[in-house]
Amino acid sequence: MIKVDPNLCIGCRSCSNVCPSQNILRSDSEGIRRILWKRCREECDLCVEFCPAKALTLVPFDESVSEPQLSFDLVSCRICGSRYAPEPMLSRIEAAVPPDSQRDPEGREWIRVCPACRLRAEAQRAAREGVSGRRGEALRRGK
Amino acid sequence: MTVYVDINRCIGCRSCEVACQRVHGGSGHVRVSFVEGLASVPIFCHHCEEAFCAAACFSGALHKEGDRTAFDVDKCTGCGLCALACPFGVVWTEKIAHKCDLCWGRTEPACVATCPANALSTDGEPPSRQSQVRAGRAGASGCLR
Repeated sequence: MIKVDPNLCIGCRSCSNVCPSQNILRSDSEGIRRILWKRCREECDLCVEFCPAKALTLVPFDESVSEPQLSFDLVSCRICGSRYAPEPMLSRIEAAVPPDSQRDPEGREWIRVCPACRLRAEAQRAAREGVSGRRGEALRRGK
Repeated sequence: MTVYVDINRCIGCRSCEVACQRVHGGSGHVRVSFVEGLASVPIFCHHCEEAFCAAACFSGALHKEGDRTAFDVDKCTGCGLCALACPFGVVWTEKIAHKCDLCWGRTEPACVATCPANALSTDGEPPSRQSQVRAGRAGASGCLR
């Protein structure tokens, strides 16, 4: 069965996706992601191998040990307010992206904006810069 | 190869979205966004020189291959880090990740081949001139394409 280090797990979807026996249950509801690692007798260690945070280890089956369960508050998008990602995943992105690339042309910390709003912002930028003639003027006035 | 967009020509018909879905088994990698009722803009992967999606990918599924940000489907676990690392919201994770692959293996990206307004091109030439060249070539070879 699986042992989880709650200090390392980032709340991503890797282990629940790769488990061939559906022993790892993940749900997103009401702004919270919950992950439950069911007690399993499998010898397979795909989840261990594919954990980006190295948070999982395979331990001998033991019925007396409770099933590990973690929950993560999903962070709210700074534009639309939708709950889109666990905090540890965003922190990990912030660690991977150079600090001088973490603000968009409007000065917003784009990592703290949900992907759907990032796409909308990119379309607005492209339209203001790329459209010529009267439509373009109207777009730039509307900024 | 790069796909250039001439926003002034885009008519917002979403043919590029449909063409992309058709060649990628239903998961499209381009979104046409409508801005303030004045412009339509197809948005897709920029194949960034410094690709944060590839930097965030722990399994090596997303990686640079020359100018292209390539995707190895067999290595993807669908963790979702790449989608959060893309500044433009053009990497998606459903069961696994998907994004524009520039229609690798095809002679021309399906969106470019399909765009009826000549808003998309691979050479960055003004599309009107480009269509003239194409028409000329078609005439010379005796076929209408």
